[in-house]
Amino acid sequence: MVDSASDRSGRNGSGYATTVRLSRARFSVAMTEVTGLLRGPQRIVPLIEKLASDKLRVAFEQRHLYSYTTTKRDSGETLNSLLRWILDAQRAGGGVAAYYSLLTGYSASYPEVTGYIVPTLYQCFHTNGNLQAVGAAERATRWLLSLQMPTGAFPGGLHGGSQKDGPLPSVFNTGQILQGLVRAHTETTRPEILKAAVAAGDWLIGMQQSDGSWSGSSTYQNAAHTYYSMVSWALAELSERSGDPRHVLAAEKNLDWVLAHFRPSGWIDGINLRGHPIYLHFVAYVLQGALECGILLRRNDAVDAVAKSAWVLLRKFETSKYLCGAYEPDFKGGQRFTCLTGNAQMSCVWLRLFEVNGDLRYLNAALKMNEMLKQLIPARGRHGIAGGVSGSYPVWGPYQPFRYISWGCKFFADALLLEQRLKQSVKVSAFEELRCAS
Amino acid sequence: MRIVILGSSVYSETTCAMAVRMAESGHIPIGALALSSTDRATLRRKLAQWGVPGVVNYARTKLVPRRFDERPRLNNPYLESLLKNRDGVFRDLREVAAVYRFSVATCRDQNFPSSIAQLRAWSPDLIIFTGGNILRKQLLQVPRLGVLNVHLGFLPEIRGMSSPEWSLLNHVPVGITIHYMDEGIDTGPILQRYDFPDLAECESLSDLRNRLIAFGVNKIAEVVNGLDQNKISATAQRDLDKDNQFFVMHEWLQARAAECFTNRRKPIAAETMNG
Repeated sequence: MVDSASDRSGRNGSGYATTVRLSRARFSVAMTEVTGLLRGPQRIVPLIEKLASDKLRVAFEQRHLYSYTTTKRDSGETLNSLLRWILDAQRAGGGVAAYYSLLTGYSASYPEVTGYIVPTLYQCFHTNGNLQAVGAAERATRWLLSLQMPTGAFPGGLHGGSQKDGPLPSVFNTGQILQGLVRAHTETTRPEILKAAVAAGDWLIGMQQSDGSWSGSSTYQNAAHTYYSMVSWALAELSERSGDPRHVLAAEKNLDWVLAHFRPSGWIDGINLRGHPIYLHFVAYVLQGALECGILLRRNDAVDAVAKSAWVLLRKFETSKYLCGAYEPDFKGGQRFTCLTGNAQMSCVWLRLFEVNGDLRYLNAALKMNEMLKQLIPARGRHGIAGGVSGSYPVWGPYQPFRYISWGCKFFADALLLEQRLKQSVKVSAFEELRCAS
Repeated sequence: MRIVILGSSVYSETTCAMAVRMAESGHIPIGALALSSTDRATLRRKLAQWGVPGVVNYARTKLVPRRFDERPRLNNPYLESLLKNRDGVFRDLREVAAVYRFSVATCRDQNFPSSIAQLRAWSPDLIIFTGGNILRKQLLQVPRLGVLNVHLGFLPEIRGMSSPEWSLLNHVPVGITIHYMDEGIDTGPILQRYDFPDLAECESLSDLRNRLIAFGVNKIAEVVNGLDQNKISATAQRDLDKDNQFFVMHEWLQARAAECFTNRRKPIAAETMNG
């Protein structure tokens, strides 16, 4: 997810004008956040608590080769607390809030996240039998269907946002919501959901450029981005429900375009964000989208390309027990904060790579990553805090500062669900078949 | 041959046993350089590796004098035969050095200029590494022949950490590799690989690890003798382009490795009992 404020301001402009608009929007967001405490003084104590606990943790934290090798917090318990956070964040209409801010409280509902949180909710139900999760998924789906535009697209930004001409269609958000619709149809087989999904898919095909990318007014900052591989993943999933070869073709075209941006170093060009650092979240988006799309389309070249990049990050994590919150090209340098969402996404990528190629080192790294993340989830606190995944660690880091974000919970829940599934499937006898991929 | 031993601590049983083994095989070390035991980084690493009870038990073993009638307290019982002395067992490297008459120095980092200067002063033909830091080029260039390491797994298949456990999970035979160290992790030229013959007798993964360490300490003397007599030479590793590095294993996978170990041990044990 891209910050909704900058998402809105970043459209319909380029160069200097865009930069000025971005700066103004950020200033406006910062002012709203700061004055939020005046409107909700009850948030002062939790804010101070969080600042103090992160400050202490940063000061005394020691990482070494043996960090995160032992289980200090139960995965099932953490998964339940993440699910509780998501359920608490669901608004009356069915949409899920983008975040809980320590300064301003819950945000408005965010269609994009509401869409791709649906598969997570269904998976929670299948794993833990939690009926509340199914109810939440159904309410979210109904709300999403009510937002679909006549063209088949879904709107960008927060629900009820401040766009002058009403909500604008967004390629990326439509792709993310499509994931939710496809899963909702798989679970319910309701025809109106498939109809909506096909309409969204058809709109995406119509918006696709001849080279396979998406760019133009319905894309973030009017530019093409490799992290839109998440959209091609959704189209590949849709093709399995719709049986329409056009959906496969569109997914394949975008995958080819994305793969052309992988460097020999494992770095991926074309993330293309003006005015932002390249947060790990976006790198992980490219990898997740290309990997899942590659698996669905049986494209070994995609799986291999992702494995190469994922291995670079695995080595970094294993040797320093840390991934930077943002990277420079070729994974050089990086910013000293943790983007928890990106870490959870990398855990998902490693777990899926283990599932595909059987290399236990991916499973090992993911188990440790999940241990690290579990330790950073507040076990106690008020609604919006307990079980929440903050944008950055420490919480004042540059990615979504002072916020617990719904998509962070979604990706970490996905990682723990995958961990549970793979642990159950790995029996000792299975090790007869396992090997080291390299 | 002038030999120097590098150790992770003066209290390291492996370092002490290695010094004794070298001395007994006719190669009394010139000196030994160990990391300071009060170094914070070492202490933190050991706390993470062994837990508080493990570190307390280790400290008790090394620092509290043993009662007269008590059996020697060793973390690795398979080193007992090497560590036995007149009064019981060697508790630290200084006691070994006093018997065999070699120097012991301590440092905060084996790559520090002061450590390199100390090593140069000893002018070694060979350095034997039994633990400590990741060694940098400057140190690796000090000895005439090189720095030897006993790796608890087969190279090039399993490089890095938790090697016995990764060997079990990846169905690589359990054994050791004696090799020269280079700047990579376990990528240096190989001198010898030895299959571990006593797998059926091991009771657990930690027992296996202890036995492998003792096996390595014994086998390295063979290699040093071979080098001294120009009977063996090193071979560059194949598969250097493959990333065969493994990392410290998470406890959930360790439990799976333990199950694999039990399964693998059973048929071997039965075979052994049947003659």
